[in-house]
This record gives sequence, structure tokens and C-alpha cells, in this order.
Amino acid sequence: MEIKKKATAGTLESSDIFVQVEPNDNGIEINITSIVYNQFGEDIERTVREVLSEFGVNSVKIQLKDRGAVECAIRARIETALKRAEGMED
Amino acid sequence: MGYETYYDEFGYPMKGIKLEKLKEFLMREELSYDEGIEFTVNICLSDGKIAATGSLQGNVLKCIAVADEYQGEGLAAKIVTLLMSKGFENGHSHMFLFTKTENIIIFSDLGFYLIAETKDAALMENKKDGIRNFVNSLKGEHNCSNAGAIVLNCNPFTNGHLYLVETAAKMCRILHLFVVSEDKSTFPAKVRFELVKRGVEHLNNVVVHPTSDYLISSATFPTYFIKEKYKAGDINCMLDLTIFCEHFAKALNITRRFVGTEPFDVVTASYNIMMKSFLGERGIDVIEVPRLEENNYPVSASVVRKLMAEGNYDEIKKIVPRTTYEYIISDRGMKIAEKIRSSRG
Repeated sequence: MEIKKKATAGTLESSDIFVQVEPNDNGIEINITSIVYNQFGEDIERTVREVLSEFGVNSVKIQLKDRGAVECAIRARIETALKRAEGMED
Repeated sequence: MGYETYYDEFGYPMKGIKLEKLKEFLMREELSYDEGIEFTVNICLSDGKIAATGSLQGNVLKCIAVADEYQGEGLAAKIVTLLMSKGFENGHSHMFLFTKTENIIIFSDLGFYLIAETKDAALMENKKDGIRNFVNSLKGEHNCSNAGAIVLNCNPFTNGHLYLVETAAKMCRILHLFVVSEDKSTFPAKVRFELVKRGVEHLNNVVVHPTSDYLISSATFPTYFIKEKYKAGDINCMLDLTIFCEHFAKALNITRRFVGTEPFDVVTASYNIMMKSFLGERGIDVIEVPRLEENNYPVSASVVRKLMAEGNYDEIKKIVPRTTYEYIISDRGMKIAEKIRSSRG
């Protein structure tokens, strides 16, 4: 999948995650902020990389601001952001 | 207290009675409405009373407030989400947030990082290490102690600017020129940057940098771009000067900042006065260089723009470098002259 435009998904509310994606020239750039970064930072990053590879994304700048979302919520928000960035919402 | 039902109210920006309501709410929260605001969202109660609000001006989130009795319900997060999504939709991925110093902690929880704070205001950004990375990217091979700096807009680059740069360059080993990147001037930012770069090519100890959003931008110094609305005393440049000190001067070992004397513009003139005392206290000398004059009249970019509107190219030729003159008489320069003429009516 190619990231064609900027897109966001999610919210900054408690137990949710806010995801921003935008096109990037070379490779995957991940930036995570989380209120539970010390406990789950690595897990979140692994989830991000998994979803990106499922979608075959090789180049993207992705920013995540996590407020304690569970894994399925993180996955869902990333998927939505990626689909929006490709212009094939829903 | 039971659960309230809220509804969202949007303004592009707010007008009329809604604007009055917003201003009143902000006043109770000890904030003042910023006239440059382009988008506002309010979270209201069923009776129309505001519970929380936030606004967006370009890529800057500001005037964010939650009424005391509705704190702790996650309304700030809702507001920030809406503003961020809107900013992103408008094409900004790098966003700033302007707030009171005491609220820094709330917004760091929402994924914002502190750039600088003064005793009553703080500026944050949504990129981790954004400013640190930017400043470090400027370092290059030109790092030496006791460097000098000039921050200029150059709209466009004139012999006056050139004189200031040449005078300053003689006094330091390395001179850093920061050309304002904010695209709010008659000449596009890219052109201003290019004309400065070409105009100082002959000076081998001068390095030209962009400022990104970190110096004299709508984030750091909003009043600079809406000068006509402000009196000299109202300008709010402390954040801008703090950022210059704590980030730029520190990383590039800048110990002197040069400015031209300002005969016309009150905002710039009082900026210079405040700069002198603020930077002076922090070990950076501010050196004021008298303006270059041509026929007993100070050379300035505003004079050049006025002459462009009049089509007086002989006079322009006398007060700008060759590179700037060539641009002004090019097709693109002519279009800018046309724009100036139509904006002056």
C-alpha cells in the first residue's frame, strides 16, 4: 500500500489512541507517545510494525499519541488511518 | 453531579453572538481572544453554556480552556483532538500549542512537548525533540565560539540589509543569518531566502539558515504579523527571545545579535528594546547598527515595495543588490508589484 496523503484516526481521549500518518520518502518512521510507554512502549511499536507489514506499507511517517488504548483499539485506529491515507475509507 | 449531554459548536471563526459568548467565557478563564483565530470549537451544555473551548490559528492551538466545574471529564482531550484533526486536514502535520505555564503538564499528557516557557506562557509542539533536531541540523561545519546572529525577514533583501550583514560580518568569525520562514510577507518565503543567499554569496563567513516555525513565526511571535492591531507596549515577544536564547544561541554558540535601528515600525522598534534588556541579562550582546541611508532617507524594504507599486525602477536599482533587482524586474517580480498595487487600492 502506498501512503498518498496525510490522515488521522482516533482521539486523545482516555483509553483511545490518536494516529497521524503522512507520506515519507524513505522508509518507516515511527514516533510513539504514551502514558504507559514504560510498561508497553515496545508492545505498541511491535503492533504498529505488524499492521504496517500486513498492509504492505514500506514508507510512512506515523505518529501515535496513546492514552492507554488496548491492542485491538490500536490496530483498528492504525488500519483506519492507513485506509484514509490511501483514499479508500470504509 | 450527573452526566451532562454536550454538543459541539464550530466557528470558522466564531462570529456575532457566539463570538461574544466565547470572549466572555475566555475572560472568566483569564484568557483573551486572539483576533487571528481561524477556527474555534466549543463544547456546550444543552442550555448553550460553554463548558470547554479551543481555537486554531494556522498550525497553532490556542485559547484552550475548560470551565472549573467540568474539569476531569476529558473535555480538554476532546478539544485537542478536534483541533489537531482540523489542523491536519488543513495540511499541517507540525503543530504548536500555546498555553499558560501551569497547564504544561496537562498537554504533555496529550502528546505535546515543551519548547520554551516564560513566567506566564508556554509554547509546545507535537514533535518529540522537534526544536532540538532542527537546531542541531543547522550546526554543520561552521561551529565556532563567539558567533554572531541576525534574524531578518528581508521583504525583499535591500542594500540596507546588505550593509547590516557586512558590518556585522566584519565583527565576528561566523555570522548566522536567520531568514524568517513564515510565509506571510509580500515576497514568498522561498524567494526571500534565495535573494538573501545570493546577496551574501561574496561573504565567506556568513551562513544563511531558515527559521522554520521557531523564530518570528505565528507560533512564537503572533503579534509580529498583525502589527497594525497592536500598540508597541502590547507586543508579546518574550517566548520568541527565550527560544532564541535557550535553543539557537546555545547550540550555535551565539554571543552577539545584531539589529538595524528601526525608524518606522513600532513593533520592531519595541522588539529591539526588549531584546536588548532580555538578551543582555543572559549574556548575549545586542548591537544596534545604524541604518544605511540613501539621500538622507533610510533604506528599507517597505520603501522598495512602495517604489514597486509606483513602478519607479530607477530608484529601486539604487537601493537593492543586483540579484534582488533582477528578480524584481523578472516576470515573477512584476506579478508581486501587481499584487502590491491591488492591495493598496
